Amino acid sequence: MKKAVLASAAVAAAALAALAAAIVGSGPSAGVASSHREAPLISEDPSADNTDLYAFRSPDKPGTVTIVSNWIPGEDPAAGPNYYTFSPTAKYKLNIDRTGDARPDIVYEFRFGRTAGPAFLGNTAQSWSMWRNKKLFARGKTPPNNIGPRSTSNYPSLVSKSIVHKNGISIFAGQRDDGFYGDIGAIFDLVGFRKGTGGAGGGKDFFAGYGVHAIALQIPIADLRAKNSTIGVWASTERQNVAVGGKLRRGWTQVSRLGNPLVNEVVVPTAFKDAWNRSAPVNDKQYAGPVVKPILAKLMNDLYKLNAPEDNRDDLVAVFGTGVKGLNFTGPTVADMLRLNYSIPVTPAGKVSRMGVIGGDTGGFPNGRRLGDDVIDIAEQVMAGFLKGNKVPLGDGVNAGDIPNLATFPYEPDPQSGFGNSKGQPKP
Amino acid sequence: MKILFSITLALGLLGLMLFGGLVAESRSDGGAAVPATAAQAATLQSELGSTDTVTLLRRLQEQARARAGDARTHALLGLAYSQRARETGDPAYYVRAEAALRRARRLDPNDVYALTGLGGVALSRHRFAAALELGRAATAAATGNAAPYGVVGDALLELGRYREAFATFDRMAALKPSASSYARVSYARELRGDLRGAIEAMELALDASIGRPEAAAWAAVELGKLHWSVGRITRSDSYFRLALRTVPGYAPALDGRARVEAARGRTARAIELQRRALIAIPLPQYVIQLADLLARAGRKAAAQEQYALVEAIERLQAANGVTLDLETALYRVDHGIRLEQSLALARRAHVQRPSILGDDVLAWALARAGRCEEALSYSTRSLRLGTRDASFYFHRGMIERCLGGDAAARTWFARALATNPHFSFRWSPTARRFAS
Repeated sequence: MKKAVLASAAVAAAALAALAAAIVGSGPSAGVASSHREAPLISEDPSADNTDLYAFRSPDKPGTVTIVSNWIPGEDPAAGPNYYTFSPTAKYKLNIDRTGDARPDIVYEFRFGRTAGPAFLGNTAQSWSMWRNKKLFARGKTPPNNIGPRSTSNYPSLVSKSIVHKNGISIFAGQRDDGFYGDIGAIFDLVGFRKGTGGAGGGKDFFAGYGVHAIALQIPIADLRAKNSTIGVWASTERQNVAVGGKLRRGWTQVSRLGNPLVNEVVVPTAFKDAWNRSAPVNDKQYAGPVVKPILAKLMNDLYKLNAPEDNRDDLVAVFGTGVKGLNFTGPTVADMLRLNYSIPVTPAGKVSRMGVIGGDTGGFPNGRRLGDDVIDIAEQVMAGFLKGNKVPLGDGVNAGDIPNLATFPYEPDPQSGFGNSKGQPKP
Repeated sequence: MKILFSITLALGLLGLMLFGGLVAESRSDGGAAVPATAAQAATLQSELGSTDTVTLLRRLQEQARARAGDARTHALLGLAYSQRARETGDPAYYVRAEAALRRARRLDPNDVYALTGLGGVALSRHRFAAALELGRAATAAATGNAAPYGVVGDALLELGRYREAFATFDRMAALKPSASSYARVSYARELRGDLRGAIEAMELALDASIGRPEAAAWAAVELGKLHWSVGRITRSDSYFRLALRTVPGYAPALDGRARVEAARGRTARAIELQRRALIAIPLPQYVIQLADLLARAGRKAAAQEQYALVEAIERLQAANGVTLDLETALYRVDHGIRLEQSLALARRAHVQRPSILGDDVLAWALARAGRCEEALSYSTRSLRLGTRDASFYFHRGMIERCLGGDAAARTWFARALATNPHFSFRWSPTARRFAS
């Protein structure tokens, strides 16, 4: 399904986002050289921002589980000379809980090196090192960002050459096309902020053409050995601590984390934004209140009279906080983790539903998350009360990403090139 | 997915999902929820498709009119005006920013963005006591968020309350290591004379600005200035150039490049670069720099024109609530303008801004007015943190000379020149003359 692109709207909105977080931005001080600096108060940090997390049984290698984690929202592929890279001074982590106590049992940690030459000339390839539970496990190099046919020709082969295989695990890190899809305009319309196309189909994929930076791991199921064959997964980023005096380096602080899609957005109030990002899933019970009685359900009823249950939403706590009994339940500890029961077989291609479990397909969200699962539509319908018997066919009108996913690891499509990207242009 | 987050944050100013807090506010004015026709949708979509602040402002103004009771919308509008003020150097935008942010605060006294935004405007206008109060209110509204502590710390610095400021920045960085907290720790280290640490922290700020070109350009210029402050001209130039590649025409980087070219003796080129900086953003310091360069090049009439402009800009800033007493005093004292009155101005400015800069400007004003004993005590205060500032050393040298301590004076002049031989176009030659 081809969709027109509203990339510029997304970028405008991103600019608004920067404003919102930018209480006062950067600028030259109105005074002399040594007067106060007017340093930015912007705390948004794209290269540390988790954007999406996927976990699924690999369709072409069902004896393995694939985890894909995206960072860096809204990478404009034609962003030269300001190309995006992983931050060399951040730690990127994939965390896996095997026992249901919401504490990580396996942690894969990545660090990235500086680009070999000036990034502005397009030298965007970075070396990486990966540690498994603090032991050095593998090293590799990202392919360069996709700039165009001259600088980065035969991109697919650059990608496959960069995949590292070690002890049965396959590892990729680098730029990908943003697999997320959705019509932000329609969603805005739902809350009346902007008159748009609504959920009546014909939605426009705001994310088409944009890139992300991704880490993908393919892990043998035999390595996982999780209780009830269900793992809880979340991705996180850390930055170095600093203090004015004393030692120059004193540990790391988590600045971003992501388990289930949409939890950050639905549950955490502004005043707790930084605290949420610093905290660990094991302490998530403190955020359960807004899940049990979600404002969103009330809004849906106010605007559209959908009969969404407004309280006692144990179904939402199950989907996002503990797993659903009989599907991917990990225990009573409420924690935002993406829960994948890897004993459930891969759904055959013809029977895959983008609506996942509520579409009758237990191979999809909330049992893990596949690239094609339509989490916006699923979330809307679940919020309206699907699991409590109130089935409303909501949707944003965008049912697939603009580019088909790859059939093999790393599954997310190659990034569009700076030279020939479709961002901002309607696709034929 | 994060764009979703960001867009929501933008439109709801809430940081998270569209529905949450946005809903709480929107109910008060019942936003329109009926889907429009395709044609209307297309028009709106194309209008939204612009990233420049002017367009954003227009959209936000419309939304603020449509949602008169929504605190968040007004806070966002206020932030946009602040952003425009920074981009243009036009202080009239601060007036509008303050109005919108005050409105937001009236609608929701605990809106952390309104409070932090007002604190930011106060900082930009150099109203540091007010900024401190607002910053404190913002931290109370959201104790776990880092950004409000930046406002508090910035204000404390300018009020000369350094120990508290440094502790605040430590807290900010502990809550969230980010470009903004790294930059503040960097500045704190620089004030304490820890240049290596300052550079290291600002490099972290630069790294944490990937994906945000303006923030990256800002950090690059700060690194350029750090290297400049210890006379590393080539190194500083490489950072100014990096900033210009990141954001072409970035005024602070043009200003940095101008000082590099001047240090290299290429005065005509320096003048051209300084002009471009000032056309981009007409700050008093850029005008002063241009005037000094023109004077150095022997172009007295052109220099006079610029000097006249300085006072005009300062009056414009003052008319829009920006207090530039300290900067104005320094300018006048440097250029020998009405020294007694300038001393009085420096004293008044010092009351509002008892930072080490305030101490140094007052010391210099006293010295130039012949009151060198009193000047000495303020000079000592200005150096109490161990800051490696060649201008401060030079002023001290002049004070010692005034008091008859020729040997001591020479030591201070030598120290100034050893730190940064190009610390001032106007006064470096004097330092060189008196050092020998």
